Amino acid sequence: MEFKTTTLENGLTIVAEVNSSAKSMAAGFFAKTGSRDETDEVSGVSHFLEHMMFKGTERRDPLEVNLEFDQMGAMYNAFTSEENTVYYAGVLPEFQDALLDLMGDLLRPALRQEDFDMEKEVILDEIARYEDQPTFKMYEQLMASHFAGHPLARNVLGTPESITALKRDDMQDYFDRRYSPGNVTLVGVGNIDWERFQTKADEMCAHWTPFDAGRTLARCPGAATRSAIADPKINREQIGIMSPAPAAQDDSRFAAQLLSTIVGDTSGSRLYYALVEPAIADEANTAYDMLDGTGAFMTFISTDPARATEAVDIAIGEFDKIMKDGFSEVELQAAKNKIASAATLKGELPMGRLTAVGFDWVYRKEYMPLAQQIELLFSMSADDVMAVAREYDLTKVTVQALGPLEKI
Amino acid sequence: MSQVFHTEEFANGLTLVAESVADVSSTALTISLPAGVRFDPSGRIGSATVLAEWCFRGAGGRDTRGLNDALDALGCDHGESVSGRHMVFSATQLARNLPSVLEIYADVLRRPMLADETFAPSRDLVAQDLEALEDEPARKAMMQLREKFYPDPLGRGIYGTSESLAALTAESLRSHASTSMSPQGAIISVAGKFDYDQLRDMIGEYLGDWSTPALQPVELTPPQRGVNYIAKESAQMHITLAHKTVTIADDQYYAARLAATVLSGGMSSRLFTEVREKRGLVYHVSCSYNSLKDHAGMFTYAGMVPAKAQETLEVTVGELRRIAVDVTAEELTKAKTQLKSSLVMQGESTGARAGAIAADYYHLKRLRSLSEIANAIDAVTIEQVKDHLKQFPARDFVMLAIGPEQLDTSCLNA
Repeated sequence: MEFKTTTLENGLTIVAEVNSSAKSMAAGFFAKTGSRDETDEVSGVSHFLEHMMFKGTERRDPLEVNLEFDQMGAMYNAFTSEENTVYYAGVLPEFQDALLDLMGDLLRPALRQEDFDMEKEVILDEIARYEDQPTFKMYEQLMASHFAGHPLARNVLGTPESITALKRDDMQDYFDRRYSPGNVTLVGVGNIDWERFQTKADEMCAHWTPFDAGRTLARCPGAATRSAIADPKINREQIGIMSPAPAAQDDSRFAAQLLSTIVGDTSGSRLYYALVEPAIADEANTAYDMLDGTGAFMTFISTDPARATEAVDIAIGEFDKIMKDGFSEVELQAAKNKIASAATLKGELPMGRLTAVGFDWVYRKEYMPLAQQIELLFSMSADDVMAVAREYDLTKVTVQALGPLEKI
Repeated sequence: MSQVFHTEEFANGLTLVAESVADVSSTALTISLPAGVRFDPSGRIGSATVLAEWCFRGAGGRDTRGLNDALDALGCDHGESVSGRHMVFSATQLARNLPSVLEIYADVLRRPMLADETFAPSRDLVAQDLEALEDEPARKAMMQLREKFYPDPLGRGIYGTSESLAALTAESLRSHASTSMSPQGAIISVAGKFDYDQLRDMIGEYLGDWSTPALQPVELTPPQRGVNYIAKESAQMHITLAHKTVTIADDQYYAARLAATVLSGGMSSRLFTEVREKRGLVYHVSCSYNSLKDHAGMFTYAGMVPAKAQETLEVTVGELRRIAVDVTAEELTKAKTQLKSSLVMQGESTGARAGAIAADYYHLKRLRSLSEIANAIDAVTIEQVKDHLKQFPARDFVMLAIGPEQLDTSCLNA
């Protein structure tokens, strides 16, 4: 495993974790932009633009783009979040050059009007698709409630109204404001020929013009509100609970990850024994979401509406207990083992390692081999974890419900 | 790429299959018991699903918490699932912890507590999953489509009904466990890093004297098929279609897989191009191949806003049929590259390999190397794909739709 990095003159950084014994390679462009960088008028443009990136360039029409990916046998996709837009693909090593040629070209899209109009229909359908997924709808509402007044409250997909109103030129303006080479990182993982990788990247990306694409960061204390959206068509009550947590840049992120695993891993955690084992909820788990300049602990509960309030009280009671009484050494060791094991498994696949290496760089301009991260994780003491529990009051929560209930 | 396979058939009907994967530090384990929902007693469907949950509520002298703690201490990422044919326990861990994990799983298989007090919550969780399915129309549509397509009980949904779950008792389920959890036809598959001799000896020691008799094969009744519609005030229409194809063991298997790839592999595939890219009808449309031992189907799903449902159905059915006439050599070449490439990439995941060799043994009674599969893919000609599509045309559909609008389905028979 070897780490490589270089920065082009226009500011585009290239990082790679080269593993010559891997059978495949993966590459991704990580653009540090998402719904938090939008304005009300263009809500949903980051995600719509992500779709449009596959619609071709001056050199390629949309069908050619799809065909080229498939002719390489690539596994490829993209995703947009509140703060990142990532375009990625995995291929066999022989396709490294062809892949970079294609992806490097795509990142300067043509944004043709007819493609824009057609894709708008697809986006509107995607919004309808998520309407039929209550968990997702609840998540969007939870973010909006907890981060009220903060840019992270903006939803990723936009609304049917904002998407319908969006013009092709609005998207071009957004692109010209966000996709500066200094705001994009090219990441490679797996069986990579580094010399060729940087030569090809230079050929594809060196002509991109740099400009300022900063982002103002602010911590968010969280709204600490309680709200419910009643939807009698839904059977189950979906509940989200959110509280502040360390930011992606904070050294306490490992401790925060351990804390969320002890509290709410899908099995063997406090919430598992308090809610899932006795079948009060069919799902109850906590995740730590590290974000740019801020962070959140997020708990999801799916339950019978009749037991929803009880489930929320139990969960918050468990948070309180951890803050007051701490946890056992056995719980801490189990959490370490689980996190290390999951990271090791994911790390055996280039596609699994890509996002880990990419986000380490995007958020911290740092590369750390997996083995070293695991070592750091195991060096965390109970005091380190408790320090996070004390600093970030786990009981100062925003609660959002979606389902049959009028209030929670 | 050279692969190292091992197979050991124990006298009690249990088979161990294993594949060494180079340059990894993990080992994936799956245990597939022939105890899926198809074996559930009528009136008590959902037994297998509840049982899989119940098995982890203490075993071999450890209570629920003790069992969880023991697996967590080993960094074991574990889960259980149930299909029509199998109850599957899967666990992935660092290689050095495999022996200890195996010892715990021997307890789960042979000495589950199945205590009265843990029965009700196990059943309640499955009842809640059944309720939750109503909130996920896309998943519900696919599950019900399988039920209508395959002979009963092969395509049975895994959650049963609220009545069948209510009919379960701790006693009836313990009795079901004593007959359904059997080593006869069970497959243990291991992929990743391991010492094979040690692995084989351990399985022999822990499970070699396990001797529950085999389950009787189930009796099949023909499926209902036809066109099915469930009215629901959902945002999207969810349309699912199934038609017949060949099983994994069939000579035409690779032709069928390549045809499915031309139809639905990647963004340049027929369905994606015609339904989404050219017409903007949907966000998601796909067609996938699914095989049981003696029956197989091509399953198509599309979700769209109701106003576009009729056109989507017609265009989709048209595309499922058109490739039989005009599939091109270029499309076949591309599909071959895609299938082979996904094989190699899947080969890097120990969990995926453990699943793949278990499926090979179940369907074929032997393990296929990646190079054997790659050669078989390369050998398929365009004539073979066309012949296959002629023999298994996109006709006699089973359709299941959920959503606000009942559609004109005359195109299915046109």
